[in-house]
Amino acid sequence: MPSDSKDKRIGVFICHCGKNIAGGVDIEALLRSTREIPGVKFIAENRYSCSEDGQIDIQNAIQDQELDRVIIAACAPSLHLMTFQRCGESAGIEPSFVDLIDIRKWTVHGNPEKVDPDEALERSKKLIKQAVKRMSLKRVIPQVVVKTETSVLVIGGGVAGLEAALDLADKGYEVNLVERLPTIGGKMALIYKVFPTNDCAPCILAPKTAYANIHPGINLLTYSEVTAVEGYIGNFSVKVTRKPRYINEDSCTGCGLCVEKCPQKVIDSVYSAGIGERKAIYIPYDQAIPKKAVIDDENCLYMKTGACRLCEDECPTDAIDFDQESRTIELKAGAIIVATGFDEYNPTEKTEYGYDRYNNVITQYQLARILDIDGPTKGKLLRPSDGKEPQNIAMIQCVGSRDENTNEYCSSICCMYALKHAQIIREMVLPDTEIYICYIDMRTAGKNFEAYYRRTRELGINFIRGRPGEIIEETDTKNLIMKVEDPDLGRLLNLEVEMVVLSCATLPSEGTEQLSGILGTALDENGFYQEVHPKLRPVETNVRGIYICGAAQGPKDIPDSIVQAKAAASCVDGELRKGEIKLPEFMVKTTGPDKDR
Amino acid sequence: MEEVYVEDFMSPGCVGCPAVKAMLEELSDELECELIIEEVDITVDATRAAQYGIMSVPAVAINGILKFVGLPDRKELKDAIIEELEG
Repeated sequence: MPSDSKDKRIGVFICHCGKNIAGGVDIEALLRSTREIPGVKFIAENRYSCSEDGQIDIQNAIQDQELDRVIIAACAPSLHLMTFQRCGESAGIEPSFVDLIDIRKWTVHGNPEKVDPDEALERSKKLIKQAVKRMSLKRVIPQVVVKTETSVLVIGGGVAGLEAALDLADKGYEVNLVERLPTIGGKMALIYKVFPTNDCAPCILAPKTAYANIHPGINLLTYSEVTAVEGYIGNFSVKVTRKPRYINEDSCTGCGLCVEKCPQKVIDSVYSAGIGERKAIYIPYDQAIPKKAVIDDENCLYMKTGACRLCEDECPTDAIDFDQESRTIELKAGAIIVATGFDEYNPTEKTEYGYDRYNNVITQYQLARILDIDGPTKGKLLRPSDGKEPQNIAMIQCVGSRDENTNEYCSSICCMYALKHAQIIREMVLPDTEIYICYIDMRTAGKNFEAYYRRTRELGINFIRGRPGEIIEETDTKNLIMKVEDPDLGRLLNLEVEMVVLSCATLPSEGTEQLSGILGTALDENGFYQEVHPKLRPVETNVRGIYICGAAQGPKDIPDSIVQAKAAASCVDGELRKGEIKLPEFMVKTTGPDKDR
Repeated sequence: MEEVYVEDFMSPGCVGCPAVKAMLEELSDELECELIIEEVDITVDATRAAQYGIMSVPAVAINGILKFVGLPDRKELKDAIIEELEG
């Protein structure tokens, strides 16, 4: 209340952060100006406020000086506010009366907001003055304790979502796993082998998908999308729209007779990357979970013309149901994990590489589907233009990545999957085919990745440190001609190859923007989900109770996706395991089940 | 002069946020108090918003108490500030 604001005993602690703050602002001048602010009863400086010694100093001052409000001028609240709130609470101060303000952003080298010391001093003075005023007038934020749901929603059935779902289900939570496509497994199920072990991807993924399918704690909702989310941590209400498969999932045995009989073939852009075909009624692939058919209503002859229904005649369990409609179900969730993965960049706009104009230019994802022995070509590597085995192949790195005209970030996994495909071709498919990898830098920072790179070189793969400016197709042969300057050799190379493979950027998956709008979660400048802090809180979002993992947070490989999935599951468990949670009263009243009372 | 501290939670893409800002500036001239207005961009300081449990903007906290989420009526906003002054 204003009337008693003069009675507050406010302490201000200015952190040096080693030299990160002290090296960029005059601490003595800041201390002098802070002493003059009305209402400040105590002021101190710490070399590292967040250290054990720093926190003990703050706690001692709270008790010795009888402080009831504390302001720490140091780093970002997202980094250490909770640390200081705990520190204050254990010395008897209500958490909302502990404030952390960021003066480090103006002083630390490498921060885009860094300013000169004079400017940093003026800004810091102003921010401290503002915080003192805020804290002097601030009242405690009313909190209430609410019960939490025991169910969790996981969005995305790729390897990250599966790992998080299995971890939580094994801990006893009821998990609803929502997947947009007809099968769980995500991208990992379709990349044939994984680096750096060259394990068969489905072989190490299938146990997880199969376990998720039979786990009593997991409810699989495939071919479904989250369409609405309301509420708050502990008590989210979720609407999920289930698209019609036109198949009774309980009756379908996945025998495939309907697929054999279906006369309508279409290009399979999802599971065969546009290389192969499927039928209008299809089972995505042999190891699909659930192994149930689905009818593509845009291409089904009966849906389009009113004639056919051969699948219905053939089905031994009468599982075909053309009357099925989209339906929306409502779920409760104590927490939500977003694991929506990534999509491959479509390189058509990079016209210099001729993708979509030249048949023999493909992407790495398409190559993965071609190399897969269960893929559209059953593992045979043939040129799309004439079905010949290519005698030489060029891979071009960083297509749509590290590029100011498209995406400036590094997509992180492209170097490794190019190496993987080069190894597979050399060792298992076409040993005599010459392979060139045209790159800017090879980035192989993961565990055992450098050895994998070295091994690829030892296999005789040609590495050219440069990328072509343009690819030209030779009209008669459909070969691809390019000039590449290799600074290591100091000369311009003229390359003529029979196939080109583009290592394309990793993009946020389709629908990310829409889903983030539904969830109220922030996206970063590249369109991936924004974490609270990139180092210390990498799987938390701006909405408490909603977590992110895997490539939804940013480009990453499988091991890192698994680590994040486990971290997200651990965060959920940490919040929900007590069965109740303390929350701001206003949020509970305005967004929860009691909001209209 | 009595003081009231207003935290005006906003984001750059928010449609209703400029209207709240304009209302607060008008009330600052109109009311016989020192209205200290701090604009808090939740895309920059999400932690502050999380402390209050703010899940959408615009939102307004007065002297540390969250009073509005969504676009407030001008009279409601004025009354809430006066209530704090008289409190």
